Amino acid sequence: MSAWLDMALNGAPINDSLVSQRQQSLALLRAARWPNRKVEAWKYTPVRALEQIDYSAANQSTAARGVDAVEGLSAIELVLINGVPQAIAGELPAGLQVRALSEGEAIAGELFGSVKPSRHIFGLVNDVLAADGWVIDVAPGVQIETPLRIVYRTTEAAQAHGRVLVRLGDKSRLTVIEQAEGTEPSMSTYFSEFSVGVGAHLEHYRFALQTGAAMSVGGCHVLLAERSELHSTLVGFGSDLSRLDVDVIHGGEFASAKVNAIYLLDGRELFDLHSTIEHACANGTTEENVRGIAGGQSKAVFNGRIHIHRHAQKTLAELNNRNLLLTSGAEINTKPELEIYADDVRCAHGATVAETDKGALYYLQSRGISRSQAQIMLNFGFINELVDAMPNAALAQWLRPQLRARFAQMGDA
Amino acid sequence: MLSIKNLHARVEDKTILKGLNLDVKPGEVHAIMGPNGAGKSTLGYVLSGRDGYEVEQGSAELDGHSLFDMETEERARAGLFLAFQYPVEIPGVSNMEFLKASVDAVREARGDSALSSAEFLKLARVVCKQVNLPVEFLKRGVNEGFSGGEKKRNEIMQMILLAPRLCILDETDSGLDIDALKVVADGVNSQRSSDRGFVVVTHYQRLLDYIKPDFVHVLSDGKIVKSGGPELAKELEAQGYSWLADHPDEVPAE
Ligand SMILES: Nc1ncnc2c1ncn2[C@@H]1O[C@H](COP(=O)(O)OP(=O)(O)OP(=O)(O)O)[C@@H](O)[C@H]1O
Ligand SMILES: [Mg+2]
Repeated sequence: MSAWLDMALNGAPINDSLVSQRQQSLALLRAARWPNRKVEAWKYTPVRALEQIDYSAANQSTAARGVDAVEGLSAIELVLINGVPQAIAGELPAGLQVRALSEGEAIAGELFGSVKPSRHIFGLVNDVLAADGWVIDVAPGVQIETPLRIVYRTTEAAQAHGRVLVRLGDKSRLTVIEQAEGTEPSMSTYFSEFSVGVGAHLEHYRFALQTGAAMSVGGCHVLLAERSELHSTLVGFGSDLSRLDVDVIHGGEFASAKVNAIYLLDGRELFDLHSTIEHACANGTTEENVRGIAGGQSKAVFNGRIHIHRHAQKTLAELNNRNLLLTSGAEINTKPELEIYADDVRCAHGATVAETDKGALYYLQSRGISRSQAQIMLNFGFINELVDAMPNAALAQWLRPQLRARFAQMGDA
Repeated sequence: MLSIKNLHARVEDKTILKGLNLDVKPGEVHAIMGPNGAGKSTLGYVLSGRDGYEVEQGSAELDGHSLFDMETEERARAGLFLAFQYPVEIPGVSNMEFLKASVDAVREARGDSALSSAEFLKLARVVCKQVNLPVEFLKRGVNEGFSGGEKKRNEIMQMILLAPRLCILDETDSGLDIDALKVVADGVNSQRSSDRGFVVVTHYQRLLDYIKPDFVHVLSDGKIVKSGGPELAKELEAQGYSWLADHPDEVPAE
């Protein structure tokens, strides 16, 4: 059904300590329907472009380029080049353990697939093909002040698969930044799983900034134990194929999740964000704010599902998705889905798609500001709140000029 | 400096301005009064180039340059300023960022050197104080959640910062309390000079007690139907506009 998949699966699964889990996923994958218009989760997102890259041209020996530092951010840099972990510079703080997935630690077997639902078809691909990645463990009660920055680098014509498994012990604290970039033709799947212990706090970022022909399907999957907290910021640009699946599972009472997402598309780009919040336990809180801007002939897809299980009484859940459509050629498909099986909950969700406020544009121009700059200011104004809400100021500072550059480019279209 | 000749303009398919003439010389203050719907705001929008407002006939020149050949932002850079009857709220864009971008653009067009952020902040604080807005208003979204009076003071602040050639104030006095009215009037008076002109659109004589106009015009059904000195405003206050409806072509004797 997919020549790419057949080619990719050639020789799989990998015969390592995870082989039985990989075999299970391979069986599921073989039985699953390959994405097409009739598969609901892929209705708006064609994956044809996968077939069009000549992967034989891949130069796997590409020298490792250095990773651009984020000014003002001192982070522990964890780099994966085409899924292969690079040496870690410096010492790790006490209470933090970082290993390569291929080292075959027992904890990897425990975490692998323990959070990520099996319905994500590229997640299954990743199960089978991700030979390596990072396994991160924070001991209970330990607060790691230095953020971990995981950089996913994919070289030209490569297909890369990487897996990140993270465990936060009870009452621990950790910041994880996942960052992917690239413009050259390639295909990658990067999936991360987080098991957040009782009373622990995870500050999380995922920057899916691939553009052009750099294709990527990935996911972040978070399991929250009792009284744990998640603050996650997702930022996506579009490419020939860019898809992110996010799951947050309230697996203990009184957990709280705040998810802010931004996507900015231009040209013929595609970005697809599917998020699912599972309130499986009572007294949980979710606040999800998603803002998107689409220009050119681009296509944005947002599917936000909140599922409140029967026993999840006293849940507070809010999902808000606002979109700005810059051109008549752009397309935004947004679908909030609320499924509530408990009776004592407070839920709100809404989605809007609006065009640029002409009155605001005129007002700015009437003060001497050029139309293109006014449009950039308005675009920025639309998402600023979420950038400002990023707990890490250095990261927000690093992101702003990139967004500005993107807006300037969108203005030209 | 501003010369409007036989201006006809329409919104959508409705002609609103029907042969309007107005000449403003440097240093002059012209008040425009007239019934609701007469076309006063339309005049400001047409002069500043709002989308959807179409010129059918006539001309408007600022310092000899045809306004209708310029984009909205070019008109502003050439020295045209319109204080809006309904200032626009722009959440997410801070007042400070907005004011800086606007002052930068106008200064650049004039060939003045750019102000550093520190210089600008200093200037903005002074002007904030002048229009009696707390400096915290610089950090808020443009007009976001501002009261009616605060929005009007924000307009005056922009006018002072941009130091335009010609200022059109569209009902800047509406919705102001007595103290705010004085603040706004003082702001305007502080900017009166021999090389700057003002067109003040108002419904109330009261504002004109503070801002003494050189001329008062009555705009009705898209035309200036009567012009006079400051005393005309007092007559209008007493008589209203019913004479327009009864005898549209006969204006009462002075
Ligand atoms: N988009 C539009 N479509 C149709 N008619 C419009 C439009 N905008 C304005 N008008 C009409 O143009 C006329 C003039 O409006 P304008 O706002 O210029 O009046 P004004 O003199 O400023 O009145 P006011 O004293 O109430 O502020 C009004 O009859 C108004 O309804
Ligand atoms: Mg008006």
